[in-house]
Amino acid sequence: MNFKIRAATKEDCKEISRMILELAVFEKMPDQVKISHEELERDGFCQNPFFECLVAEVPEENKSKEGFTVVGYALYFYTYSTWKGRSVYLEDLYVMPEFRGNGIGKGLLSKVAEVGKKKQCVRLQLSVLDWNTPARDFYAAKGALDLTDSEGWHFIRFDNQNLDNLANEAPKD
Amino acid sequence: MANFILRKAEPNDVPDILRLIKELAKFEEMEEKVLLTEKVDVPLVDLLEDGFGDHPFYHCLVAEVPKEQSSEGNTVIAFAMYYFTYDPWIGKLLYLEDFFVMQEFRGLGIGSKILKVLSETAVKTRCSSMHFIVAENNTKSIEFYKRRGAADLSSEEGWRLYEIEKEDLLKMTSK
Repeated sequence: MNFKIRAATKEDCKEISRMILELAVFEKMPDQVKISHEELERDGFCQNPFFECLVAEVPEENKSKEGFTVVGYALYFYTYSTWKGRSVYLEDLYVMPEFRGNGIGKGLLSKVAEVGKKKQCVRLQLSVLDWNTPARDFYAAKGALDLTDSEGWHFIRFDNQNLDNLANEAPKD
Repeated sequence: MANFILRKAEPNDVPDILRLIKELAKFEEMEEKVLLTEKVDVPLVDLLEDGFGDHPFYHCLVAEVPKEQSSEGNTVIAFAMYYFTYDPWIGKLLYLEDFFVMQEFRGLGIGSKILKVLSETAVKTRCSSMHFIVAENNTKSIEFYKRRGAADLSSEEGWRLYEIEKEDLLKMTSK
């Protein structure tokens, strides 16, 4: 199947938003999606964007059952390691189920690696759910190491009320 | 009780930041009994460019004490390095990369103050939450964070951290 990987434009945000929800449904957490294409447009296409995005596009004649030609995306941003320097963090990678098995996922991942290389990034990190065996196998095949397993790293989050509570105790300037 | 101030790091602080990065590695080394200090590979010039150049990859807070209070003459005795990340479900996040207070300055509320200032920064900049990673055997840190309401997403939701290193990244780009 022919497909093209390209940088997302502001106009793609509605499609990206649709696929973000599809991925959240797959991850069994659809009610955790709180933002829409408007926030993506604001945060990804401002002067100092908070993320970058690639999309996978198929020609009209290969469009999905519902008529979509944008069939996959990779959302990433730059992070920093005090030991190694510049890094890329792959936040989301998703291909619509009916388009899998055509190398689109690999194409998106390779393109992110290429973007990272151009920016002199020394590593790529991502997170994956423990039960998501196809994803874990996909990344392992590309040489990814499970650092939660080998080094015991856990993700920690302070959100909403807890963040506000901490902030309200901060010293006033 | 130490007098200290918290402020934004400046380019002149970079040698101190690198010193503290290595001290944190040494601290983790003693916990892990592994030689980690040599794994700190970032040259000073990169740390400077990456934090204070045209497109900063990180932001940094430092804690400073008066010279008289420091046995070795260092006035910069703690740091927190952070940057902004993005969650497609909730938007902007503040990500805390490194957080360290020199041993002799612990137990004085410096860590707590840093965390509170970071939280205020997060709220001011419209971040929905603050994220970071912690090693599961670092029980002191985990308790410090849990006391303040943090959630362990790896335990609660099953998220695992994966990493692809440079060599394997380059393999993907050569096709």
